[in-house]
Amino acid sequence: MAALRCLPGVGPKSAQRMALHLLERDREGAGRLVETLHLALERIGHCRLCRTLSESELCVLCANPRRDRSLLCVVETPADVLALEQATGFQGLYFVLMGHLSPLDGIGPAELGLDELDVRLDAGVVSEVILATNPTVEGEATAAYIAALAQERGIRATRIAHGVPLGGELEYVDGGTLAHAFAGRRTL
Amino acid sequence: MRVLLQPAFILHRRPYRDSSLLLEALSMEHGRLGLVARGAAGPRSRLRGLLQPFVPLLLSWSGAGDLVTLTGAEEQQPQSSLPPARLLSGLYANELLVRLLPRRDPCPELFKAYARLLAELATAAAEEPVLRSFEKCLLSELGYGLNLEHEAHSGAPIVAEAQYQYVLDCGPLAVAGNATGVPISGRGLLALRDGTLDDPVLLREAKRLTRAALAVQLQGQLLKTRELYRVKRTPRPE
Repeated sequence: MAALRCLPGVGPKSAQRMALHLLERDREGAGRLVETLHLALERIGHCRLCRTLSESELCVLCANPRRDRSLLCVVETPADVLALEQATGFQGLYFVLMGHLSPLDGIGPAELGLDELDVRLDAGVVSEVILATNPTVEGEATAAYIAALAQERGIRATRIAHGVPLGGELEYVDGGTLAHAFAGRRTL
Repeated sequence: MRVLLQPAFILHRRPYRDSSLLLEALSMEHGRLGLVARGAAGPRSRLRGLLQPFVPLLLSWSGAGDLVTLTGAEEQQPQSSLPPARLLSGLYANELLVRLLPRRDPCPELFKAYARLLAELATAAAEEPVLRSFEKCLLSELGYGLNLEHEAHSGAPIVAEAQYQYVLDCGPLAVAGNATGVPISGRGLLALRDGTLDDPVLLREAKRLTRAALAVQLQGQLLKTRELYRVKRTPRPE
């Protein structure tokens, strides 16, 4: 039970329920869980190119020859890659930072693998860097930093837009978002 | 103890448990303090977009001791966040405050200086003079203010045309002695005092001085934000 509590959102009560369920009713499922977790821990590492979690040396996306290698989307976490893959028709490649610049937590460019990104930008294949870091102060600082790296090499850097959520009502949108949305308005 | 709607800025935030945040804030009447914002990082939280660094806020909290509980937050004025290019300077100021300022030490003057810093960073053409005058303010708040008025030995007023050696625990000395300090011109000292640093030469002098003075306070800790500046400015070898 104590082991299950390492999962997010699992407190003592749910841990007890899960443990009893696995032991009393679903021993087979428990076996599968053990096996999968074991395999995952052993095999899954980071993709050599984009640093996302991957079973092979190159992740599925980086290995796919049909994807557009001139577009590079920079995101903070592997979960962001999944979100973008599901929601957008983006056909380029990703680079996963595994965090954001946060000087007070001791996270600088080296921790985010920006030297790898440097090498990748130097290779000259990438023509546009899409900065899809979170719209937090740290995310913005990270985006500004990477944008400077790209611009040094004459590579176009773009930032994803911030705005009012679909189906939202202006009245209930927070001031910051609304200000951003207003400043970033487009001609129709 | 309950505190209601206290003007404050968030200096730093880090995730805590599932959906909470640990905040480090600078408030006007209560100095730097640590807060727990329960549920603030959850997907439905109203505070998620609000509790960001550099936004003037009104915070309410309850509790005593080192970590208090946030009970409410409101925006003080329509958002005037920093432009992306200036975020680094803002983070630099935050890092200085978190590392140097003791908790729970009221510092209304410093709070005003910080608010001014953010306002000026957002609008001013050059960021360095703004940072220098904030550093000067921070040093004097820490009780190690720079002496920019008088020569340390004779007590004579600083002469713009003279050269000085600034010895940190003593003050500016007229160059005659063989003191080992930070070399700085009289004009540099006066410009730092009056906040009129426009000349690049004087700016460099003032930067050396405040940097040396802050280094003493930091006791050998290195500032992570400074690394970011350095990487950004070194030209890349082809």
